[in-house]
Amino acid sequence: MATSSAGDWLVGVDIGGTFTDVVALPRAGGATRTGKVLTRSGDRVASLVTALSAVGLDWAEVGDLVHGTTMVTNAIVQGRFARTALVSTRGFGDTLAIGRQNRRYLYRLDRKPKLDPLVPDARCFEVDERCDHHGNVLRELVDSEIDELASELAAGGAEAVAISLLHSYANPAHEERLAARLGERFAYVAVSNRVNPEAREYERTATTVLSASVMPLAAGYLDSLEARKPAQARLHLFHSGGDMASPEAVRHLPLALAMSGPAAGVTAAAQVARELALDHVISFDMGGTTTDVCLVSQGRPEIASDRKLNDHPLRQSMVAVESIGAGGGSIAVYDRGVLRVGPESAGAEPGPACYGRGGSRPTVTDANLFLGYLDPDRLYGNELRLDEKAARAAIGQLAAEAGMDLRDTALGMVKVTNQAMVRALRRVTVERGIDGRRCTLIAFGGAGPMHAVAVARAYGVAQVIVPAQSSVFSALGCVHAQMGYAQQQTLRVPRQTWNVGLINDVRERLWARLAAPLLAAGFAVDELAVEETAAIRYRGQSYAVEIAAPDFSDSGRLGRDFLEQHYRLYGFATDEPWELTAIRMRVAAPRADIAALTVPPAAVSAAGGTGPCLFDRSGERMTRRCDRSALAAGETVHGPAVIEDAFSTVVVPPGASLVPDARGHLLITVGEAP
Amino acid sequence: MRSMEARATGTSGMTVGVDPVSLEVIRNGLTSIAEEMSLIVMRSARSPLLREAGDLSSALTDADGFLVAQGRDVPMHLGVMSFTVREFLKRVPKAQLRPQDVWLLNLPEVGGNHLPDVKAIRPVFAGGAIRAFAVSLAHWADTGGALPGSYVPNATDAWQEGLRIPPLRIANADGLDREKLDLVLANVRGAAEREGDILAQLAATRIADERAQQLFAEHGLDTVMAAIAAIHDRAEAEMREAIAAVPDGIYEGVDWLDDDGSGQERIAIRVRVTVSGSDATFDFSASDDAVRGPVNTTPFITAASVFYCMKALLGPDIQPSGGCYRPMTIVTRPGSVLNPGIDKPVVGGNHETSQRIADAVFRALDPVLPGRASAGGPTTSGLILFAGRRRDGVWTTLYEVHGGGEGARAERDGMPALRVHMSNVMNTPAEVIEAEYPIRVERQALRRGSGGRGRHCGGDGLYRAYRIMEPEISVTSMFERRLVPPYGLDRGEPGAPFRVTVNTTDGRSFELPGKTNLRLNAGDLVVVESCGGGGYGAPDRTGKSE
Repeated sequence: MATSSAGDWLVGVDIGGTFTDVVALPRAGGATRTGKVLTRSGDRVASLVTALSAVGLDWAEVGDLVHGTTMVTNAIVQGRFARTALVSTRGFGDTLAIGRQNRRYLYRLDRKPKLDPLVPDARCFEVDERCDHHGNVLRELVDSEIDELASELAAGGAEAVAISLLHSYANPAHEERLAARLGERFAYVAVSNRVNPEAREYERTATTVLSASVMPLAAGYLDSLEARKPAQARLHLFHSGGDMASPEAVRHLPLALAMSGPAAGVTAAAQVARELALDHVISFDMGGTTTDVCLVSQGRPEIASDRKLNDHPLRQSMVAVESIGAGGGSIAVYDRGVLRVGPESAGAEPGPACYGRGGSRPTVTDANLFLGYLDPDRLYGNELRLDEKAARAAIGQLAAEAGMDLRDTALGMVKVTNQAMVRALRRVTVERGIDGRRCTLIAFGGAGPMHAVAVARAYGVAQVIVPAQSSVFSALGCVHAQMGYAQQQTLRVPRQTWNVGLINDVRERLWARLAAPLLAAGFAVDELAVEETAAIRYRGQSYAVEIAAPDFSDSGRLGRDFLEQHYRLYGFATDEPWELTAIRMRVAAPRADIAALTVPPAAVSAAGGTGPCLFDRSGERMTRRCDRSALAAGETVHGPAVIEDAFSTVVVPPGASLVPDARGHLLITVGEAP
Repeated sequence: MRSMEARATGTSGMTVGVDPVSLEVIRNGLTSIAEEMSLIVMRSARSPLLREAGDLSSALTDADGFLVAQGRDVPMHLGVMSFTVREFLKRVPKAQLRPQDVWLLNLPEVGGNHLPDVKAIRPVFAGGAIRAFAVSLAHWADTGGALPGSYVPNATDAWQEGLRIPPLRIANADGLDREKLDLVLANVRGAAEREGDILAQLAATRIADERAQQLFAEHGLDTVMAAIAAIHDRAEAEMREAIAAVPDGIYEGVDWLDDDGSGQERIAIRVRVTVSGSDATFDFSASDDAVRGPVNTTPFITAASVFYCMKALLGPDIQPSGGCYRPMTIVTRPGSVLNPGIDKPVVGGNHETSQRIADAVFRALDPVLPGRASAGGPTTSGLILFAGRRRDGVWTTLYEVHGGGEGARAERDGMPALRVHMSNVMNTPAEVIEAEYPIRVERQALRRGSGGRGRHCGGDGLYRAYRIMEPEISVTSMFERRLVPPYGLDRGEPGAPFRVTVNTTDGRSFELPGKTNLRLNAGDLVVVESCGGGGYGAPDRTGKSE
């Protein structure tokens, strides 16, 4: 990041569906400011300005603004897309309609079995050209073909164009010629070899079309934002890969924002892991309707490249968040001998019964209120008081149906919810061959700190951390972001015909593409950090094993690393031939060190009050309740205790103990239930 | 034995002793064990079908072999695995089983379907007794036999189809039994690949055992056992309620296989469904006799197809546990195409005849459950199997299935290029085919106009042209709906039939039969045009759907 003058601020803003969070850091040093305001869904720019004023800042004081947003995510989930045209290789124009020919629902005949293609027949165009998988040109693309296409496209009324030719990951030349020409006529052109240079034509094409289809939306937003902000404020966007991108880069690849929100929380968790030198951490972000879980190893979030969003393939390097549709708003039902929680959610409207906004069905939040973890006398988020009677009535109805008493029903709702969380934790660790019980859970989000210790116990995790600034954690992730870009590129090199020259050519091209926006921002080549991952598999396998920091000049060592990793993941390894199938690269710029964001702890813990809470069937326990800001560093709080701030509640059940550290992180030893 | 009984034993009514919370937690715990097994096999196995297309399944059964939880849902496997362990236990008494055993098995007559689907079975012990079984089923790319890929379209007996593995203890507490493994590997093509598949399956069952022990420790063995009983009872109650809502009566349905590859055409699959209260009997006795070619199938496949239809028609969300199937009785006649005896070839019956059984059941129940079933769809794997050597000398087998047009429904058109009913295996992308096999995909497109007309139209089939790039490539076909096209419903028109054409470099062009094998050479072209779906409702004059 360019040097900044004294007095300006680094600001992270995360615009979520309900709240916009902000963290502001003075470059000259001094106290961090944080805030949380309601999102104005109609006008995101206004939300941003409101967030700034909530921390007493004006645009003019902002040096760098890093901004996470659900704008692209919501557009995809709600199906708001631009009119997009698709250009394919002759003979392959139906790739989107064919898909992978599998159906979404095995037993539901009534539902549509797969997505309708985002591009209708009338806007699908084919050009006469062909390459093979080595990138050899089998049929040259001639200029007259391009001319013809350009005029047909212009007549077709498309707002955006996606170009996806067969094997373009191996030879981008034809796509680039088309892009150069169509770029003269269309403002929005997405090119598959730049969006996703990987094999498998359906996924690459769908990803490219999806990116094209949100280009006008992203550009419109960035235009209005840039018109509003003063020249000195540098704008950055937080992308799904866990880094930040320039507005220019986002204009070309808006799909990079698809998982912006969840990724920001994971980045903040990774920062805490690095601060505290924790090897394996699971980021646990439990909100009202979803819970996002991600593994962070050695301070780096795990990265995935083959995720979907609402059934749309999203082949981008992104933080490997596992999302489950359960949270505080999930509704509990009794169904033939079973107490189920979710997948139905009360959402923000009408919300849990205890919100008193018309919800009457029992949610997890209602159970948490009934059990005494939430406080009916407290004002949550500066505006919400919870209605204990409504919660009790909703749970009472469920209890009657299930033939259980109220307490068992409420405890059961929480237990079933926590079990679903354990399943998600297991998935993110098992996939990576990590024993989850050696991990530390970093809990945030509205409901995360309330459930974390019980979830940790159910999975056998020994330590939970509720980090400093947990209620604005995603905004904090924005502040900690580096400017960086990542991408995965297909190449196929068998062990027997190892070709370092070919590999290095591919790496250089990849580097050049990822470094370009950083060089344009004024960074020098030797400032840029490069991280690589090699994807290696046995010949015949489909899933590759990832090897970090590979040395491509030493295939012997790479092979040994692969065998070791395969054994760790799957419990066996053989000496069959293997092959390199892809390289993933991240190129990042350095940034000024940010001092750890400390929350000044109190000198002496205030006493706080007490209240009854239920933790298990043994009955109510008088439980200490105190304000988070009133805790003194280093002083142990033994469970049962409930620690509260304006937006979240930390539950420390009997047998667990909590110590705030000097930075304001709450370190919880899970212990065993007595 | 005159008939084959698929009815599960057990008591009905809710089991007492497990609270609603523990039941839900244990149920999810069991399902996540099965899911984890599938994840391990899919990520580490070698056979292309497992990796690209996910032709595998994992299950946990109770101590008697009744299905409790299933990972990846391939409806065909789901049904078959309801029998695998039960039939296995008839061959191998529990007293012979030891902790850490893993048994391999692929015999169709022992709770199976066809030789390529190899099961690894591990007993899970706790408190000195067997409490559960973990089963990993995987489709191996080769199990020996007369042709690469182990699909022998002109096979006339079971032994030509490949290596037959009776229950075989491949691993025990001392580890892998190398001699038995070598015997298996010596009889299949691609020994190294197959060893990878076996190791992946063993790893999956080991993890399942570990996870089950954790579950027992966490909740107590008795509680878990009681929960398993309750899961069965609950599924049974739900299925009974759904069946009770179907009017009592006798309903008949029929559909026809194209041919058996050995000269016999139009082979009838007939079902007589008797619904009585909350019970349903499916009697297939009137189906044709066993045939020479490999479209015979097992009573287990027959049951699997019935289970699928009943879930799709009546209870998509019912937990697929053993109890769900208790209200159903499936009867097949020994000597018929659905109960042929151990000597008949069955490899294609697994995915062709199984689909025809489903068609017959849907057609039987359509009049009494109007609007629930779809019109006829691509109820065939559309399988073309290419095998040969690449230029670098490596032996490769491309096992490619082709979806077609979905049958139209009362409320909507069918979608194009789709797999329906008993299978859900994906295609192999052209970019993967060209990189890994000596084949070039010249065109892949929708086969426009192939969907049957109707008030709602059937979906369009697929068009895919494969150029052979090396000499001496073996091409095997195993597909249906070439002679008997997908049917329309409620006066909708049938879809266009399946057609595969071969154009050779010496100028010949001919249609490929549905069950055949031939050798092609560099430059030859194979054009697959899969069937369109049937229409629903009478078409208006324009033939356009609403």
